[in-house]
Amino acid sequence: MTEAAKGQWVLSLLSLSFLGLGVAFWSDLWGHTAKSPPIPLLDTNFISTATARMSAADLVKSGGDTSDFDCYACHERNKPLKLKLNDDGDVVVPKEHENIVMAHGRHHRNNNCFNCHDETNLELLQTRDGRHLKIVESPALCGSCHGPTYRDWEAGVHGRTSGYWKRELGAIDRKVCTSCHNPHAPAFPSRQPAPGPHPLHPLSLSARPAEPGEK
Amino acid sequence: MADANLPASGPASGETSRRSFLRTSAVLASGIAALAASLAPLRELTDYTAVEKFFQKHYKELTPDEMKQVLERIAREVEKQYQVRPHVRDYKPLDGVEFVYCLNLTRCIGCRKCVHACVAENNQSRDPEIQYIRVLKMPHGSLDVEKADHNYAPASVPEKGFFYMPVQCQQCKNPPCVKVCPVRATWQESDGITVIDYDWCIGCRYCEAACPYFARRFNWTKPSIPKERLNPEMSYLGNRPRRQGVMEKCHFCIQRTRAGRYPACLEVCPAGARKFGNVLDPESEVAYILRTKRVFIQLKEEVGTSPRFFYYFDV
Amino acid sequence: MSLTTKTRNYFVFLWRCGRIAFSGDWRYYAWMGFLSLFVLLGINAYAKQFVHGLITTGMSDQVSWGVYIANFTFIVGIAAAAAMVVIPVYIYGNRELHDMVIFGELLAVAAILMCLAFVTVDLGRPDRFWHLIPGIGKFNFPGSMLSWDVIVLNGYLLLNVHICGYLLYCRYSGRLPAKWFYIPFVFVAIAWAVSIHTVTAFLYVGLGGRPFWNSSIVGPRFLASAFTAGPALIILAMQIVRRVTATAPPAEAARWREATPETGTRRPATLADLEVLGRHLPELGSVPTEARRGIVETATLLEVGPGVILLHQGDTDKEAFFVLKGRVVVMRQEAGRFRITRSAGPGEQFGEVSALAGTPREATAIAEEAATVLRLPVEALRKLMKTPPMNKVVRARMSERLMITDRALMMLRSIVQVSMLINVFLLVNEIFKEFYSRTSHVASSRYLFFGLHGHHALVPWIWTAILFNLVAMFLLVLPVSRSLKYLNLACVLAILGIWIEKGMGLVVPGFIPTPLGEMVEYSPSLNETLVCLGIWAFGLLCYTVFLRMSIPILQGRLTQANEGDNGAARSFRSVSAAHEQAAYH
Repeated sequence: MTEAAKGQWVLSLLSLSFLGLGVAFWSDLWGHTAKSPPIPLLDTNFISTATARMSAADLVKSGGDTSDFDCYACHERNKPLKLKLNDDGDVVVPKEHENIVMAHGRHHRNNNCFNCHDETNLELLQTRDGRHLKIVESPALCGSCHGPTYRDWEAGVHGRTSGYWKRELGAIDRKVCTSCHNPHAPAFPSRQPAPGPHPLHPLSLSARPAEPGEK
Repeated sequence: MADANLPASGPASGETSRRSFLRTSAVLASGIAALAASLAPLRELTDYTAVEKFFQKHYKELTPDEMKQVLERIAREVEKQYQVRPHVRDYKPLDGVEFVYCLNLTRCIGCRKCVHACVAENNQSRDPEIQYIRVLKMPHGSLDVEKADHNYAPASVPEKGFFYMPVQCQQCKNPPCVKVCPVRATWQESDGITVIDYDWCIGCRYCEAACPYFARRFNWTKPSIPKERLNPEMSYLGNRPRRQGVMEKCHFCIQRTRAGRYPACLEVCPAGARKFGNVLDPESEVAYILRTKRVFIQLKEEVGTSPRFFYYFDV
Repeated sequence: MSLTTKTRNYFVFLWRCGRIAFSGDWRYYAWMGFLSLFVLLGINAYAKQFVHGLITTGMSDQVSWGVYIANFTFIVGIAAAAAMVVIPVYIYGNRELHDMVIFGELLAVAAILMCLAFVTVDLGRPDRFWHLIPGIGKFNFPGSMLSWDVIVLNGYLLLNVHICGYLLYCRYSGRLPAKWFYIPFVFVAIAWAVSIHTVTAFLYVGLGGRPFWNSSIVGPRFLASAFTAGPALIILAMQIVRRVTATAPPAEAARWREATPETGTRRPATLADLEVLGRHLPELGSVPTEARRGIVETATLLEVGPGVILLHQGDTDKEAFFVLKGRVVVMRQEAGRFRITRSAGPGEQFGEVSALAGTPREATAIAEEAATVLRLPVEALRKLMKTPPMNKVVRARMSERLMITDRALMMLRSIVQVSMLINVFLLVNEIFKEFYSRTSHVASSRYLFFGLHGHHALVPWIWTAILFNLVAMFLLVLPVSRSLKYLNLACVLAILGIWIEKGMGLVVPGFIPTPLGEMVEYSPSLNETLVCLGIWAFGLLCYTVFLRMSIPILQGRLTQANEGDNGAARSFRSVSAAHEQAAYH
């Protein structure tokens, strides 16, 4: 084949290739990004700013059922209460109060009800140094043993806050101890974590997000 | 002699010259057709840049009037896309304020509520997912991030033998990201927040390479926010919806903090592990913490970034 | 010459260059067509990326730079290495590599265009490119190394375009280039070449948060590997150019005839002949009449028809020739193929190089068409060159021929040899530093060389690269690479090894693990690969076009003198066709 003829062949082949390629482009045959499985919308409970529980004060403010705090509905006034202790010396919670789980302090150190409650006046709390406090004044009671934490709380450094850091524009909203800590079992409750990060590419060789319950 | 540099054909007669001319034109025509067809994907382009937006000046050069027009334009675009009329403002830094963030590692339980509160507050893309905060699950006794687990998903947290360290933009005093941006699209303001002008960023991702804290995020494609989850309280430098191809990162909830409020991550933290405020105010919580707590960790202190994020333990 | 004429000439030059780019033989069309297909594939892939964003690539927040920046880094090195060809020529006055300088600089231009393309496709918002323009946008200079890179890359592009363009245009228009208009730029370009690659290295070195990159060895390694891969690429490219500009022995070669009384006349030269020559060679006017008489005594005037051989390759006669009328083409025979090294028209010389050097003829000179030439013994030529203007023009024109000698390739080989030795030595340094003290900063290196936490995608790549580099180094050091076959193998291995090492072996491990210890691996997507191939094809396309335009100019076959000849057709007319025409008449 002469050089010229080869040249013509090449040009014809090129024309065909260009046309074929053009059709392929128009038909969009390749290069689609693999779609990762859709990420489910977050359960809005995870971004709720509500505290773990409601303190007595909050309960009163919200107009909820305060019958639990009406001690003399069942107890008799001026009748001293006796605690029942089991063989190990632990308080036995009476079955009327069986919803209360006693877990304040390690090794059952603080499980005596009248460490905090006033046995002569069930509507009051008492500190070891003899102060009597209303239920809604409970932070001072907690602070009578948990000094450093109480000082931090007063400065706004312990516990959940919200509102304004710039006091000229608004107030800081501080929660009381019992908004987060159950006074009878104050250990901060563990909870289910919100979902972890999802990778950008589905088939990436990265660590894929672990399934719930996995390590 | 057939010279390699010769034109392919020396037409001997009119016949072959016409054929070769046709063949040459056929190649040119088919080549141009193929070129046009190769641009076929542009059919799907819907997100045209308006002319006014193309020429928009850098944030620092916008006059107040121009800023007003820009905010108007943003509000219109958001309304068009999400059918929600937003409130877009430009918050200036407050005087005498330097923000600092303190995070109590004794208290953090690793629940990741901060991560998602941030996403909700700052209109981040849900799919593909952008999250400014990354919570690291660390084994007791080590701050070596290589030992961190980013993808923990147990039934409940905290887990015994571990502590949790959320990491977000540290708003460094000596920010490497600001140093490397070729167009000054990111800079630090007087209150310490390192901000990004989303309409100026060219998307080169040099800042993402420079950041020692994995704090910066890029919009790899068009971000998607469900309409019902859109936060309509927006700011220009903060949480207004971003577009494909630009960087974003934690900005200390600029639309909240410059209005005197706490950032979203702080407000949602159930354990109160996060503390934020003006370190120049001796009455603030953060000034108290920096005065009274004994051990502080500034992540990767040796890299010289001088972060404004302080991790501490309670006793 | 008026400004309008000058402008017109320049545009005609550009037009002719453009036309040449579209003409060639079937191999040329096949090669360009092949490259165009890949360019189209790349454009299509980029259109998809433009619409959908960079999610079409394999990059992620964890590995935010990938093959685009990897290729960019490698190719900046290639562009910088063009300087390595320039240094021996201009600083050491080496003549062997002189012709390669333009090819090296054209390679640099094509490489810089590729670099600009790679950076543009990596941008998330390429429509905002104007933000980078100093004065109009906001340019973070001198703070950001990326802004430095923008300046040095564009500056280097302009420098090389100026130098090549000026030299080629001078050659085209038959003028001697004014030294002050290009020599200073050449020296600036040498320093600039080193700077473009150092600045690119500093992009990485300056990031304190990435200990894999934050090391002082990165800059020197960049330069060493660039000066290995660049000249290696030039060695390969020059052999391809040599091969492609050579053709099979012409069938008509058998019909070339010696200069005999039947094929042409000869007579002693006269002063009148020198006058005729002086019309095309104005510098001759500076030779005093006394000297002219002496020269004329020993000179001979030949008038020959087309196809007559005026000197033979390999001969040891010591005469120089000046063309008074017509055109003489000088062809070198190599391995059974013929390549045009120069084409001399009226006023131009041939045969002077071997005459002055006393070496055997390196090529054969044949009259392309009926020609009148003046033949001088070498002593007469030396007498002529005693006059400064003549000396200048003869010396300048001596280098106006396209010679790609094996000696030149061996010189490049020694550059590649030394650079590869330095490159491997620096690698050893790096490995010792990373692995001997075992600080926590070693994580990325561990990932690269041995895998980390069950991820080991890059391990086979880096070890292949090291193997290639070591084999190339040994081949280069041993005398066996003096044979072109082994030299080419060493060059290919070096280029591939360095491409892997500098690309995937530098950019990607810097991101793995992330600064927070996360392990996310990276592999380029199909779209990303097509864009890369498209840009590579574009670069090769540019370089081919540059060569296609510059080689005829350097061979003297595309000049202003033959502008009117049917759009340069006459300068390409085969000797046989001219012979036929002559026979016809």
